[in-house]
Amino acid sequence: MTQPANNLATAAVAPVADAPSRSFWEVAIGAYKRRIINRIAFCWILFLLLLAVFVPFLANGQPFTIELKRTVNGSETWLREWPLFAQLTALDLILLFVSACAVAYYFIFKRLGREYAEREKRFTARALALVIVIGAAISCSVPTLIWRTTPLNPYDYRTYQQMLQTGDARGAVFTVVHWGYGEQEPLRAQRRFEGPSRDHWLGTDGNGRDALSRLLWSSRVVMGIGFIAISISLAIGVVIGGFMGYFVRKVDLIGMRLVEIFESIPVFILILIFIAFYGRNIIMIMVILGITGWTGIARFVRAEFLKLRKQDYVQAAKAIGLPLHRVLFRHMLPNGLTPVIVVVTFGIAGTVMSESALSFLGVGVEPPTPSWGSMLNEAGNPAEEFRWWLAIAPGLMIFLTVFAYNIIGEGLRDAIDPRLNKIR
Amino acid sequence: MLTYILRRLALMVPTLIGMTLMLFVIVRFAPGVGSGPGGLGPGGDMQGNEARLEQIKKHQQRLGMVDAEGNKIPIYKQYFIWLDNTFKFWRVPMASNVRIPTPIPTGIDLGESMQYRKPVWELVKERVPTTATLNIISIFFVYLIALPGGMLAAAKRGRSFDVAWGLTTLALYSLPTMWIGSMLIGFLANPQYVKLFPAAGLHATDTRYMTFWQYSFDYMWHLVLPIITMTYAGFAYLSKQMRASMLDNLSQDYARTAKAKGLSGFVVATRHVFRNSLLPLITIATGIIPGLIGGSVIIETMFSIKGMGELAFRSTLARDLPVMQALGLISGVLVLVSYLITDLCYAVADPRVSYD
Repeated sequence: MTQPANNLATAAVAPVADAPSRSFWEVAIGAYKRRIINRIAFCWILFLLLLAVFVPFLANGQPFTIELKRTVNGSETWLREWPLFAQLTALDLILLFVSACAVAYYFIFKRLGREYAEREKRFTARALALVIVIGAAISCSVPTLIWRTTPLNPYDYRTYQQMLQTGDARGAVFTVVHWGYGEQEPLRAQRRFEGPSRDHWLGTDGNGRDALSRLLWSSRVVMGIGFIAISISLAIGVVIGGFMGYFVRKVDLIGMRLVEIFESIPVFILILIFIAFYGRNIIMIMVILGITGWTGIARFVRAEFLKLRKQDYVQAAKAIGLPLHRVLFRHMLPNGLTPVIVVVTFGIAGTVMSESALSFLGVGVEPPTPSWGSMLNEAGNPAEEFRWWLAIAPGLMIFLTVFAYNIIGEGLRDAIDPRLNKIR
Repeated sequence: MLTYILRRLALMVPTLIGMTLMLFVIVRFAPGVGSGPGGLGPGGDMQGNEARLEQIKKHQQRLGMVDAEGNKIPIYKQYFIWLDNTFKFWRVPMASNVRIPTPIPTGIDLGESMQYRKPVWELVKERVPTTATLNIISIFFVYLIALPGGMLAAAKRGRSFDVAWGLTTLALYSLPTMWIGSMLIGFLANPQYVKLFPAAGLHATDTRYMTFWQYSFDYMWHLVLPIITMTYAGFAYLSKQMRASMLDNLSQDYARTAKAKGLSGFVVATRHVFRNSLLPLITIATGIIPGLIGGSVIIETMFSIKGMGELAFRSTLARDLPVMQALGLISGVLVLVSYLITDLCYAVADPRVSYD
C-alpha cells in the first residue's frame, strides 16, 4: 500500500508506537486469518477460481491423448493425437495465460521486493511487476483471441469409446469426467433425465447432457459474471461516489438524486426490465448486473471521501498545487477504497445470487452455457417428477459460493474496521 | 419541521422526474419496441403485409411514437406525451370533452396491459392483496425470531451463542430461495416422495362447498411452504442491526446506572435497553412498505401465486411495456415515500434528531 495508507493504519489500528514493521494490510490479514471459517471460505473461492481455469482438463469429452489407426499411403499406421489440447478454445487459453501471469507476478514481485526493500520503493516494485505481467498477459491473449479458431471435431466420448472397442484406437487417456458440457447422449439412447449411474455420476439433464460436467463448467460463468459485473459497478460507483464526496454541494446533490433514482426501483424489477428489452446474452447480463449494482458502492465511497477531504494530507496535496486527478486518485482513493473491498465482496455474493435467480427463471445466460441456476430450473416444476440429482448439487454450489463470499465480507469488515479492533 | 418536510418533498420531484426519464429511456431505446405487441412473437413478412403494418402503426400510435397521420414524433416529445398521459396534466370540465392543461397532475393513468387487455391499475389491484398478505405474515415471523435472536446475541457477545447465531443467520441468508423452494416442493409436495403440502396456488381448486373453517385451514395449509421460503433469509440483516443497536445502548451510561441500582441484567436489557435500541430499526420497518407491494418474483413464480412478482415476471417474458413501466413507477414512488416516512419517524421518535 502507499504511504498514506500506512499513516492511516498507524493512527487507527496500531496505537503502540514500537511495532512499526506491520503495515495496515499485514494487521488486517492477520485479523482475518484468526478465524478458521474465514480461511475455509477463502479456500473455497480459490478452489472455484482454479476450477474455472482448469475445468477443460477435468471435464471434457476429448481424451488427453489417443492413438488412432490411420491409413497413410495404403499402409495402416498408429498415429498419436492430442485431441483435448487441439480443442482448447481461445477463452481456455487466455484463462491459462492469465493465471500463469498471476503466478509469475507473485514471484517477480517477491524477487523485486527483495531488491527494493525500503517501504518507499515497494510501490515501485509492485508497479514494475504489474507492468511486466500485464504486458505479458496482453501480448499472449490478444493474438490468441484474434487467430485462435478451434477446429471442428465431430468425435465425443461415445465415438472414442466405440473406436477403442472396435480396435481402431488404443492408449487413450481420458479426463476424470469424460463429458463436455454440451455433449448430449443420442436421443435414441433414451438417457434424458436419468438418475446417477456409472456413466453419469450426477445423472443427466433434459438434453441428455452430463450433470456433473455442467456443474463443473458452470464455475466459469459464475466466477466470470461475479467479477466482471462487480468491476463495472466498482468503476461507476467509485467515480460517481468520489466526485460526490470531493465536490460536495451541487455535485453531491445531483449525484445523490441519481443514486436515489437507481435505488428507488427494486433491483430485481430493474434487471427484469433491462433483460426484457435488451436481450440476455452473457455479456448483456454482466453489463446489466453491473449498471444496476453500483449505488451501494457510490454511497460508500462518498461517505469515505467526505471524511477524507478534511484530512491534513489531502489539504497538503491540494496546497502544493497537485492537479485534481492526482489528489483524487493517487492520494484519496487508496485510503477511501479499503472499506469498499467489503462492499464489493458482498456485492459479488449478490451478483452470484441474481445470476442464478435469473437463470432459474429462464431469463439468464443462454441455453448451451451451463449455469447452476438453469440446472436447478430443470429439476422439475410441481406438475412433473422431481429430479433431485439436478437440484441438490447445483443448489449446494450456489449456496456455498454465496456463503463463502458473505463470510469473506464479514471477516474483512471485522478485520478492517478499527472500532471492532478496539473492542476486542 | 415543516420546512424540512417541504424541502424533502421538493427534492423528491427531481428524483421522480429522473425515474420517469430512466424508465422511458430504457424502454424506448430498446431494439424492436415499436414492432408490435409481444415483440418476440412472429412478425410475419413485413413487406406487403398490410394488416401487420396497420397493426404496427396502431401500436406505435398507442405508445405515442407516431401521430395520427403516421408521422414520427421526436423522442423528447414522446417523453412529454407519455408523461402527460400517465400523470394526466389536464382536466376535462363538466359537459365538454376538451382537455384543459393544468400545471399539476390530476390523476394517474397507467395505461393498458398488452397481454391481459386490461387497465394496469386493475391488474395491480387484483394482485396487491395476495402479495401483501404473504409479506405481512412473513415479516411477522422474521421479527418474531430475529429480534429476540439479536438481543440474545448482544447479551452473549463474543460467546459461542453469538458466533453460532451470526453464522446461522448468515448461512440462511446465503441459501438460494430457488433451491429451498424447489427442494420443498420436490420433497414435501410431490406424490413421488411425501405429499404433505399443496405445491401451487393459494387455494384448493374447488372451494365452493367448503365451510369457513375448512377454507381458512386450506388457505393456511397452502401458505406454509411459500412463507417458509420467504422468511428464512430475512433473519440475518434484522438480527444484526438489533445486535449492534443493543450493544451500542448497553455500553451507555444509563444502562450502567440501571445495573448499579441493582436491577438484574434481564430487566436492564428488556425494560431499558430494548426500547432504546428499537430506534435504528425504524429504517427497516419503513423499508417494508415498498416490499409489501413489490413481491418476490422467484417465490411467486415458483409457487404459481398470482401476485405482483409474478405479474412482473410474466410481463417481462411478454415484453408487456405498460405493465413494466407501471410497476417500476409504483415501486419507485413507494420507495421515495417510505424514505420520507423513515426520516419523519426518526424526528418523532427521537427529539435529539434535528433537521435544520
